Amino acid sequence: MSAPTGTKVPPTVKGRADLALNDEFLRKAVKFTTERLRNGKHAATAEHGNWEEWRERGRQIRLHTIAHLDYYLNLFADNARANGVHVHFASTAAEAVKVSLAIAKQVKAKSVVKSKSMVTEELHLNHALEGLGIEAIETDLGEYIIQLAGETPSHIIIPAIHKNRFQIAELLSKEAGETLEADTTILAGFVRKKLREKFLEADIGMTGCNFAIAETGSMVLFENEGNARMVTTVPKTQITLMGMERIIPSWSDLEVMATLLPRSATGQKLTMYMSGITGPRRDVDADGPDEMHIIIVDNGRSNQLGDPEFQELLNCIRCGACLNACPVYRHIGGHAYGGTYSGPIGAVLTPALQKNVGDWDDIANASSLCGACYEACPVKIPLHEMLIYLRRRKQEGGHRDLAEAGGMKGFSAIMGNSGRFKGVVKLGKLGQRLVSRNGEIRLKLGPLKGWNSYRVTPSLPKQSFRDKWGTLEEELRHGLNELSPDARSRMEQLVRSREQDGGGHGHG
Amino acid sequence: MAEQTHEQWLEELATDSRRKQEAFMNDIAHKLKRPRVLEKPVHPFRGAPDFWQEYEWTLEERTQRFTANFHSNGGHVSHLSTMDEAKQFIKEKATELGARYIIRQNQPELAEMKLEEALPNVSLSVWNSNENENWKARAAEADFGVVVADYAAAYTSSIAVLSGKDKGRSVSLLPTVLIVIIPLERLKTKLGEILIPLDEAGRESLPAGIHFISGPSRSSDIENDLTIGVHGPGVVYALLVG
Amino acid sequence: MKVSLFITCLSDAMYPRVGEAMVRLLAKCGVRLDFPTVQTCCGQPAFNSGYWKEARESAKTILDAFEDSDFVISPSGSCTGMIHHYPKLFENDPVMLARANKLQQKSYEFTQFLVQVLGVKDVGAVYPHKVTYHPSCHGSRLLGIKEEPLELMRHVKGMELVPLPFAEDCCGFGGTFAVKMADISGAMVTEKADHVLETEAEVLVGLDLACLMNIAGNLRYRNEPVKVMHLAELLYEGVKQA
Repeated sequence: MSAPTGTKVPPTVKGRADLALNDEFLRKAVKFTTERLRNGKHAATAEHGNWEEWRERGRQIRLHTIAHLDYYLNLFADNARANGVHVHFASTAAEAVKVSLAIAKQVKAKSVVKSKSMVTEELHLNHALEGLGIEAIETDLGEYIIQLAGETPSHIIIPAIHKNRFQIAELLSKEAGETLEADTTILAGFVRKKLREKFLEADIGMTGCNFAIAETGSMVLFENEGNARMVTTVPKTQITLMGMERIIPSWSDLEVMATLLPRSATGQKLTMYMSGITGPRRDVDADGPDEMHIIIVDNGRSNQLGDPEFQELLNCIRCGACLNACPVYRHIGGHAYGGTYSGPIGAVLTPALQKNVGDWDDIANASSLCGACYEACPVKIPLHEMLIYLRRRKQEGGHRDLAEAGGMKGFSAIMGNSGRFKGVVKLGKLGQRLVSRNGEIRLKLGPLKGWNSYRVTPSLPKQSFRDKWGTLEEELRHGLNELSPDARSRMEQLVRSREQDGGGHGHG
Repeated sequence: MAEQTHEQWLEELATDSRRKQEAFMNDIAHKLKRPRVLEKPVHPFRGAPDFWQEYEWTLEERTQRFTANFHSNGGHVSHLSTMDEAKQFIKEKATELGARYIIRQNQPELAEMKLEEALPNVSLSVWNSNENENWKARAAEADFGVVVADYAAAYTSSIAVLSGKDKGRSVSLLPTVLIVIIPLERLKTKLGEILIPLDEAGRESLPAGIHFISGPSRSSDIENDLTIGVHGPGVVYALLVG
Repeated sequence: MKVSLFITCLSDAMYPRVGEAMVRLLAKCGVRLDFPTVQTCCGQPAFNSGYWKEARESAKTILDAFEDSDFVISPSGSCTGMIHHYPKLFENDPVMLARANKLQQKSYEFTQFLVQVLGVKDVGAVYPHKVTYHPSCHGSRLLGIKEEPLELMRHVKGMELVPLPFAEDCCGFGGTFAVKMADISGAMVTEKADHVLETEAEVLVGLDLACLMNIAGNLRYRNEPVKVMHLAELLYEGVKQA
C-alpha cells in the first residue's frame, strides 16, 4: 500500500525494514532530514527557554480537554454550526468517506484541491473520490510529489522525505510534458504554476485540522506554503476533516500549541502561516467558501478513552518530533511501518486505532525502547511505555510467538530461583567450550545468528561474581576505610525522610 | 418525487448530524466511565504559563526583534516614519520590479495614500469596491498586494490580517509580492496579546478568516532544500510605520 | 546501615570484574556492601517483551533480596530503571505494590549513589588516556543520570574526555529487539561504533553493560582495538594507578 503500485510489499515490519535498510539513498535521505529537523528543534527550544514548563503546560491542556471531550467537542460543534458550518459526525472511516462523497456529488464537483491532512490518508479518500471520477489533487509540495509517484507519505511533516530531487524531477517532467532540470527552484516553480490553475478551477477545497477551538467553533491550520490558505479561500465549497480529539478550549490555549507545534516539528518559531477559520465567508465578503463542512472523525480514536494506558495517545499534536528523534525511524523510514502514521507514534497509534493488536504483528517490536520519543514529545506522551503495554496485550490476547513464549517461561523458571540461575550459568560455561575461541563466540547459528551477524559475543568467564564473592568479602573485611561523617548523615537523613513521607528520588 | 433543493438536502444532513452528535457525546461519556459533562469544567491550565503572560518588550526591542525574525524567515523589513514614506516605498518598488497590476485592500489608510495618483501607469484595483467583479481573479493576476495589518507580534515576527468586506483574504495570498503596512502601535510583543482578545471578543465578533503571516511562502519538501514562494507570495515587505 | 549490591544478572555471569571494581571502589569510600545471593535478574527482558507474569517471578527475587536493605546499588541505569517499573508491574497486588514502592525509593545506580548520596566526585583516579562516553538511554532519560558520570570523569587526572557525536542516540541493544529486529539493531550499533571510531578515543566508557557488550561486540567484529569499559572499572583502574 505504501510502496509504488505494482511492487510487492512484504507483510511484516521486519520485511519492509530489510528493504529500507538495503536502500542506501533512502537511509541517507531520512538521516539527513531527521537530523536537521532534530537539531532545529533543539536550537528553537533552547532559544525559547523554559521548555519543560511549556511542555508541561501543553500536556495539561491536552489532558484536560480529552478528559472533558464530550463537553468541549459538543461546544465546538454547536459553535461551528452557529457560525454557519455544516457539521457532520463519522464513527468510522466508511462513514466519513460517505459524507465526503455525498457533498462532492451534491455540488457536482469535478475536482478537489487538498491541503495536507493525515485523516484523509487514514480514510483513503483520494481513492474514493477518484472512484466517482472526481480529480483529487494534493497541493502540499511534498504530498503532490508522492501523489504523482502513487505513494503515501513516509513522514508526517516531510511526506516526500524518501525522494531525491532527481527522482522528483523525473516525476514532474512527466507531468510537465518536458524535461525539467533537477533544480529545487525550477521544480517548485513548475508546481506553483501548475497548481495555481488547479486552485482556481477546483470546486472543493479539502483540509485537515491542526486544532479546533471549542469556545468559538473555529478551526486552525499551520502551514508554510500557503496551499492551505488557497484551499480555504478560493473554492466555493470547503470540507474539513478533523479527528475528534483535535479540540482545544480557547484561543488562549492556542498560544501554547503554537509555541509547541512549530518548534517541535521544524524548529520554527511559527509556521509562515497560521490561519483561524471561523465559518464560511460572510455575506459581504468577496472571498472564502460559500459553504463549509466539517466532518468530525472517530475511526478508533474513542477506543482510547477511559483506557488508562492509552488515553494519552489522544494528546498527540502530530508534530513528528518523535520520528525525528527515533533511531529506528532514522534507519528504516516511514513506509516500513506499514500504516498511515509512522515512527514511534505510528507504532502505537496504528494498532491502538484499529484494536487489532494481533494483526499488527511486529510493529510494536520495532523499537529498542530507548525513550527518545518521549523526551522529544512536546506533550510528553510516554510512547516507550505504551509500546510495552502493546506487547503485553498482544501476548495476553493469545497472539504470542510460541518460541518466545517458551523462552520466557524458561526465563521465569531460571530467574525465579537463584539456585537454578547459578546452575544455568554453570551449564553455559560447559556448553560454550564447543564454540568459544579466545574468549569470544563468533558462531552465526541458532539464537546467535542475528546478533553475531553484526557482533562478536564474549564468552562467560571462569568464575561468576557470586563465585568470587566469598573471597572478595573476606579480603575487604580487613582495612575498610571510614565513611565520611557527611555521607553518613546524608544517608541517615534519606532513610528518615523515606519513613516520614515516603519520599523517594529519581523519575516518576 | 419532487426534486430536492440544496437547502432541503442540507437540512436533512443537519438533522442527521444533530442525532449523531448526541450519540457521539454519550459514547464519549460512556467510555470515560462517567455521566455526560454538560457544565463548563474548571480549566486550571488555560493559556500560557504565568511567567509568559508578564513577558513584554519595549517598543524599540519589539521593532528590533520583529525585524531580525522577519529577516531570518526570508522577508524584508523597512522602518518608515510616515504613511507618505510608505507610499514612496511602494512607488519605488513598483517601478523597480515593473509592477503592472496592483490590488489593495479597501482600507481608509490606503485610500488616503492615493496610490492611484502616484502610479499612473499601473492598473490598481481596490478589493470588493464593486459587486460585479471577480475579485479572486483580480488578486491572482496582481503583481503586488497591499494591505494594512491589524496586528503584529514581534516574538515570532507574525503579522495578523483579519478578513472582512473590505479586506480580502486573497489580497495577502494570491499576488506575487505582498506589501504589509504595520502601524507601530499595532506591534505587540507576543502572539498571546493578539489571541487572548479573540477569546474576549467572542465567537460572534470573529471574522471568517484570521491569518498570521510570518514571512514568504516556503517549502523544504525537496531534499530539505529551502524554496521560497511555493504557493503564496514569495516576496514580502513589512513596512513598520511610526 | 545496610547498603546492598544489586549485581544484575549480566554483570554476575558475564562481567564479574565490574561488580568487583564497584565493590572495591565503594570500600575505598567507606561503604561495605552486602550481597544477598537470592537475587537473580530484574525481569526486564520479560517485562519489555510483554511477559509480565514471567517478569514478576524474577522481580520477586529482587524484592526478597533487598527487603531489609537501606540502599540498593547497581552498576546499571537500565536495571535500576526496571525497579522503577515495579510499581506498575505489581499495580494489582497491594502487598507487593507497597514493597515495590519501598524498593524503588532506595534503589540507586552506581554513579548516582556515589555523587548524590556519598557526595564523592573525585575518587582519586589517574587515567592518562583518551576516553569517550556513551550515555545509555535508560539511565540518562528515565533516571535523569546526566551530570553524575561527567562529574566523576572530570575529576580523573590525566584523562582526556572527548565528546561522542550523537552520544544520546540508542546503541541498538534494546534487549530482545537485538534478536527480533536483528538487522535494524545491527544498523544502529554499526552507526554507534562508527561514531566511537570518529572520536579516535582509546577507550569507550559507559554505565550499562548490555549497551557496552553490544557496542564492544560490533567493534570486535570489525577488529577495532577500542577498549570498552564500565565506568566503575575505569575508575578502579585509575585508583590502582594513582
